[in-house]
Amino acid sequence: MTKKVRITKIALIAALILLVLVSMFVGAYRFEHGIIETLKSLLFGGQIADSDKFVLLQLRLPRIAMALLIGSALAVSGTCLQGMFKNPLASPDLIGITSGAMLFAATTIVLGEHFIHLFPDALTYSFLSIMAFLGAMLTMSFVYKMSSSQGKTNVVILLLSGVAITALSGAVTGLLTYLSTDEQLRNLTFWTLGSLSGANWIKNLILFVVVAVSFYFLMPKGKSLNAMMLGEKDAEHIGVPVEKTKKQIVVLSALMVGTSVAFAGNIGFVGLIVPYILRLLFQSNYVIILPLSALLGAFILLFADTLSRSIVQPSELPIGILTAIMGAPVFIAILMKYKKSM
Amino acid sequence: MLKVHDISYRHKEISILQGISFDIKQGEFIAIIGPNGAGKSTLLSYISHEIKAMKDRVFFKDKAIEKWSVKEMPKHKSKFSQQQAADISLSVKEVVLMGRYPYFNGEPTENDLEIIGQWMKATDIWHLRERLYEHLSGGERQRVHLARVLAQLDNEIEQKLLMMDEPLNNLDVAHQFRILELVKEQTRQKNTAIVVMHDVNLAAQFADRILLLKNGNLAAFDTVDEVLQEKIISDAYDFPCTITQNPINNQPLILFGINNKI
Repeated sequence: MTKKVRITKIALIAALILLVLVSMFVGAYRFEHGIIETLKSLLFGGQIADSDKFVLLQLRLPRIAMALLIGSALAVSGTCLQGMFKNPLASPDLIGITSGAMLFAATTIVLGEHFIHLFPDALTYSFLSIMAFLGAMLTMSFVYKMSSSQGKTNVVILLLSGVAITALSGAVTGLLTYLSTDEQLRNLTFWTLGSLSGANWIKNLILFVVVAVSFYFLMPKGKSLNAMMLGEKDAEHIGVPVEKTKKQIVVLSALMVGTSVAFAGNIGFVGLIVPYILRLLFQSNYVIILPLSALLGAFILLFADTLSRSIVQPSELPIGILTAIMGAPVFIAILMKYKKSM
Repeated sequence: MLKVHDISYRHKEISILQGISFDIKQGEFIAIIGPNGAGKSTLLSYISHEIKAMKDRVFFKDKAIEKWSVKEMPKHKSKFSQQQAADISLSVKEVVLMGRYPYFNGEPTENDLEIIGQWMKATDIWHLRERLYEHLSGGERQRVHLARVLAQLDNEIEQKLLMMDEPLNNLDVAHQFRILELVKEQTRQKNTAIVVMHDVNLAAQFADRILLLKNGNLAAFDTVDEVLQEKIISDAYDFPCTITQNPINNQPLILFGINNKI
């Protein structure tokens, strides 16, 4: 078992490194000297064209970094939420967390337009992510209160709360399109479908801090999540502080989802697909799938992003479309398994 | 080792436990019996601190139960719950390993793996260790949790407390005896067991003292011979019974539904 885990981990890391390299050189822009040469010159100070350098350091790399950060953030929050709600459908988008964050972030973008440029970028981005976090946090508490009683989750209520919030968020976002300028409108549309094209190093720094802090607390939660499958009372009998664990998961997932939404919009299904794939290999052993979901999430999102900016060159596809194409079949597969077990 | 002082509990205006007090010494096997809805499970939940109602009512090793640290407590007491989750997608050994969670961070030690191996053999689930828990039958699942709960108390600490809420449900006769033997062995090692059970005869055979509940009241708490009186039992269960002697081991034997005095 542990051997299988180790092999999977190594394989994922290797695939991830390879994908990063490929992703650096895939896209509308062609480098003058090809992959190896450009990289060599960059690392060892050889000749490199300014435009090559700019594309690599200011466009491609920040975007790759953002895909890795957001991919792992979404996947880990999905895994944690599924553990907490004891249900493979409890991913941040299906239960409305993403929509809640969207609602707050979209409102901030459109209504804050007039004074937002008065502040430095770092502050604006932080503000935006804080607002998205608030939205995520509020919906999370709402959904949780709605669907849980005495430690048990009502799955139907959980998912329907998500539907309700998504509807509300859709309506408000729709309303905002009337209030927004053409420029904002284009941003808004692109953003509701998700995109990593706005990546830069400041956003990455904020994301990195958020992800690092969240992982620090969430990664050791594998045992607690396993124990919670026994039921919350039994988990307490083996020393799991259930309430504290749930609070941490709620706050930190909201933080990760909120920040991701603030910077890249609505990228759906990552939190659903990743745990699903890992469960096929390792069942629901969270000790194993929690760290692996960070790796697989990073891989899947970077893969989708690389695809999104290479299949319709020189334009690009919103990444949310690709993740939804991957995610919807998974959603249906889970439902079918559910139906069988009923 | 366990003192319970005047506990009462109401849920939604319905009184479930009323002013129950008792003391339990180390090494005792206590069987809690009583009709349905008498408050047996609630009493056990109260003692195990699942119900967090009144303070300073339950003292474990002379310390109020709510003052014990979450980390330390699991090494001193464990509980087997009546209702078991059905949908755990883990292998049997992964579920049993949860009993060792209080003892390791990260990876389990060799010792932990050895201990779960022993208890899986003791509860006769060793052959199922690689199987998925959710594919097991009710009785097999029951034994998985028994192994988990027993593995949890496998340590050097003295005077531990084992609480079990109807551990014999779904088990065949051979496994019922096997499990009760394991529990009895725990009490021989100066640990204490409190077991909710339905089979009065099994209680009589294994318990040191019997705690009889009726309508949330302590109807009797005494040695087997004292509690197993025709009047006490038939009053509590509201059902006729006869108490005779087991011809093989001379222990009291209770037969329900037969009453030659009617």
